[in-house]
Amino acid sequence: MPKPQDTEGQPDSAKGVTRDLASRIASAQRERNVEANRASNMSPSDMSGMARGMRIGTEFIAAILVGAGLGYLVDLGLGTRPWGLLILLLVGFAAGILNVIRVVTQMNKAAPPPPGSDLGSSADDEDDN
Amino acid sequence: MADPNKVDPIHQFGLTNIFSLGGEGGFAFTNSALFMVLTVGLIVIFLLGSTAGRRLVPGRAQVVSELLYDFVANMVKGAAGSEGMKFFPFVFSLFMFVLMANMFGMIPFFFTTTSHIIVPAALAILVFVVVIGYGLYRNGFKFFKLFVPAGVPGYVLPIVVPIEVVSFLSRPISLSVRLFANILAGHITLKVFAGFIYSLGSLGVLGFLGASLPLIMTVAITALEFLVAALQAYVFAVLTSMYINDAIHPSH
Repeated sequence: MPKPQDTEGQPDSAKGVTRDLASRIASAQRERNVEANRASNMSPSDMSGMARGMRIGTEFIAAILVGAGLGYLVDLGLGTRPWGLLILLLVGFAAGILNVIRVVTQMNKAAPPPPGSDLGSSADDEDDN
Repeated sequence: MADPNKVDPIHQFGLTNIFSLGGEGGFAFTNSALFMVLTVGLIVIFLLGSTAGRRLVPGRAQVVSELLYDFVANMVKGAAGSEGMKFFPFVFSLFMFVLMANMFGMIPFFFTTTSHIIVPAALAILVFVVVIGYGLYRNGFKFFKLFVPAGVPGYVLPIVVPIEVVSFLSRPISLSVRLFANILAGHITLKVFAGFIYSLGSLGVLGFLGASLPLIMTVAITALEFLVAALQAYVFAVLTSMYINDAIHPSH
């Protein structure tokens, strides 16, 4: 922890203990603000392999299901029998791929040097970089 | 189990009516509802009890609730910035409910409320109503920038925007299905392996030796299930705070 830096107009009469405490509080608050300002740096990187696979799988499947469901509803509403389902199913497929890419990017960003928790990704990293 | 000689891994998910209000078709209080009430009750009792006699130097129970607070607060701050702390009570309630419901499910003969898709789905829909509502309230029309990634040329937008919309709509589904599927699959696996012990054990001495293998498996899977129960609650809360971050800053 970075030490002194006597901040915020502490009166000189204050005792050493209090002054120390004040500077520690100030530095803790500064650290906290820095933390608070960077958003979305945290993500489930420390997940087990199974949870990771589950996450990616559901992201992919859910998008396809939503696409197909929307297509079906469009067909039902507009009477354009096969086309709505066909096109929106493909859109859903694309959205699924997009979801997977986002999740994986996020996971990789969250753990630049994998902390030895997951064999698969650390092997991948060695190959890539 | 209806038939004591048959192994039925699905039986644990059966709903039974405890009492119903308003006769047939009225509000039915099932075992699932009972365990949801118990979950909420336990959370309330624990959190109120552990923070009742607040002290500067906390006792054991107080440390646990402070750790829970810190854990969720850091998660929300990390994912959604300090502005996201407005939603801390929401995320904390979700986290505690899912965690406790999952942990309750690990106790033998207890019902796992999160193993029915309707419960996670209701939670996920709640999250999405909050995200869309707050996003529109805070950003107005700019909230729809969420569907228009920056730096995409105009002529690709007709393709990109539907994809983004479908991707957005898929979130509540993946959020709820993930929790539900993990819990359901885990509990069925557990019951299937436990069933193997019973079936093999009734085959005599050799079967008795063989039965020790699924017994080891069952113990291991039980440990794994505790991990999954905590992890899925964490994942649910982290994703909720990430979606809330989207509502606050609607641009990729």
